[in-house]
Amino acid sequence: MKIEIELTELPIVKTLSPQTGAPGAVVEFHGVVRDEENGRPISALVYEAYPEMAVHQIRRLLESISTRHVCLEAHVIHRLGSVPVGEAAIYVGITSRHRAEAIALLSEFMDRLKQDVPVWKRRSLPPPAATAPNRIGSTGQTPSLKAGPATRSLAGAMAEIQAHCQPLAAVRLPLADAFGRVLRETVCAPGDLPPFDCSTRDGYAILTGDAGGIFQVVDTLHAGVWNPRQLLPGEAVRVATGAPLPCAGLRVIMQENVERKDSHIRVLPRDDATNIRLRGEEVKAGQPLVPANTLLTAGALALLAAAGCVQPLVSPRIRVSHFTTGNELVAPDQTPGPGQIRDSNSMLIHGLLQRFPCEVEQSHLPEDFESAWRRLDGNRINAADLVLISGGASVGDKDFTRPLLERLGFEIVFSQVNLRPGRPLIFGVNGARAAFGLPGNPLAHFVCFHFAVATALARLSGDRAPGFLRGQLAVPLHDPPSPRETLWPAQMEFSGGVIRLHPLAWTGSGDVTCFGKANALLRQPANSGLLEAGSWVDFLPATGNMSI
Amino acid sequence: MRVLFFAQLKDVTGREAVELPLAAPVNGDQLWALLLQIHPGLAPHRTTVRLARNWEYADMKTQFIDADETALIPPVSGG
Repeated sequence: MKIEIELTELPIVKTLSPQTGAPGAVVEFHGVVRDEENGRPISALVYEAYPEMAVHQIRRLLESISTRHVCLEAHVIHRLGSVPVGEAAIYVGITSRHRAEAIALLSEFMDRLKQDVPVWKRRSLPPPAATAPNRIGSTGQTPSLKAGPATRSLAGAMAEIQAHCQPLAAVRLPLADAFGRVLRETVCAPGDLPPFDCSTRDGYAILTGDAGGIFQVVDTLHAGVWNPRQLLPGEAVRVATGAPLPCAGLRVIMQENVERKDSHIRVLPRDDATNIRLRGEEVKAGQPLVPANTLLTAGALALLAAAGCVQPLVSPRIRVSHFTTGNELVAPDQTPGPGQIRDSNSMLIHGLLQRFPCEVEQSHLPEDFESAWRRLDGNRINAADLVLISGGASVGDKDFTRPLLERLGFEIVFSQVNLRPGRPLIFGVNGARAAFGLPGNPLAHFVCFHFAVATALARLSGDRAPGFLRGQLAVPLHDPPSPRETLWPAQMEFSGGVIRLHPLAWTGSGDVTCFGKANALLRQPANSGLLEAGSWVDFLPATGNMSI
Repeated sequence: MRVLFFAQLKDVTGREAVELPLAAPVNGDQLWALLLQIHPGLAPHRTTVRLARNWEYADMKTQFIDADETALIPPVSGG
């Protein structure tokens, strides 16, 4: 029997097109999530699997049952993660010569699956009605809570953040204020660039075909001097670099190649160079000059200035609200008491946000949910494009980031990433607004900022999201295999034509000591053991001022 | 040996996996004894949890060695 098995986090869209001729019977089953379980309404079921063993066991079951009920093909798709009410959690498609075998196999398989295949489900309940007045939720509607403790891969999380965050409405700014913004419309050249034929050398302009050796200098032109005249054979015009040429059909002899005496020159060596930048040589009127979605660097601003674009349409300043949580934190200017530590995350976020055009407001939230809820400033939250909450993102008793975001009207897209450090990362959306619950440990903060928050900030600006680059390990990386991908703090250096990465020792996600040096995050694949020196690895730049 | 936890056992242990160095092969009972030393909270689950070794359910005779991937499988609820 031909067997295909798939585990997926995506909706199941499947109808069987038999691959083995005309089978006689095609039996398909979609197991759909009901709107209640044990009499309680639910909004979704959240599925988790031991994937390798689940696939192995499904195959064993099918092979075993098909010895008694002989069928031709079996296709099994089991969905993982959050499956909303009304969507299929499992699909089974069987083909056989006659219907009886296929129906019998399907029936027995489903019974056995529920006993032996390592897949688990949890209920996701509809959000409870807010007990406090809903002064912050944007429109008073309850969020459609789909996801439970949904885990994403690193790549999956980055893709989902990109998909959910859309560019904010653009604004027009004076050119001088637009540095670091993302241009949101293509700016075309209003005229030819350069706007006239000009000399690229200090020298003497003569007619192109004039083969004479002695010329009379009839004029002197500097940059900015516009004095057209038709040159005659035997005439030359003294020109400075950048000077507009007096007529067409000229070439410029470098001054080093002539001998001047009074008002005459003698050309010494001749070469073929014309030494002229022609009008429209770089760009012609109406051609795109700076494309939309360009990050406005000094060079791009200069080009816009050259084109007379003084009010470019650009990304707005992103309004960020950052909250810290945790009773153990004291301000950096205070001396920590027993069991307390200084808050470093506020400064970390403050610093990391510097390279993005942001307005940041930072404040601290009290430890318990209701006090924190009362402390939140509804106007401020509603005005924020991006909400960041540090700490409280795990599943400890006092961790309230998720319920807080939910009550604020955010729909949780995922609440874990299969990554270390930085696993308990929460990402939610509320209309065009995005929110992250960042794990409280500083190193996890650092990591989550670079792959997750930076991705959201880039998308909100309309910029390209950060992507992984390739570099070589400078030294071997000894680390016991982990089932999770790792983003190692590392120091990168450019040497011998490649970027070489030195992994920095870290003892855990609370480790702050490697911050001072880390300027890259090295991606160590899951389950990899020793990585030799010279191995090619992916990394994310993590410098405050560099985008490659 | 790597021992994986799933579903509610992740909540009980607070982790997805634990490294359990084995100098010599152990049977299921010995493995449980080692696990309960690390995570006593697993005790009430012992009667309902099955052991799996390298993606197969273990039985009374199964021996576990250091190179195995072992998992604690609480009652399943797929489909």
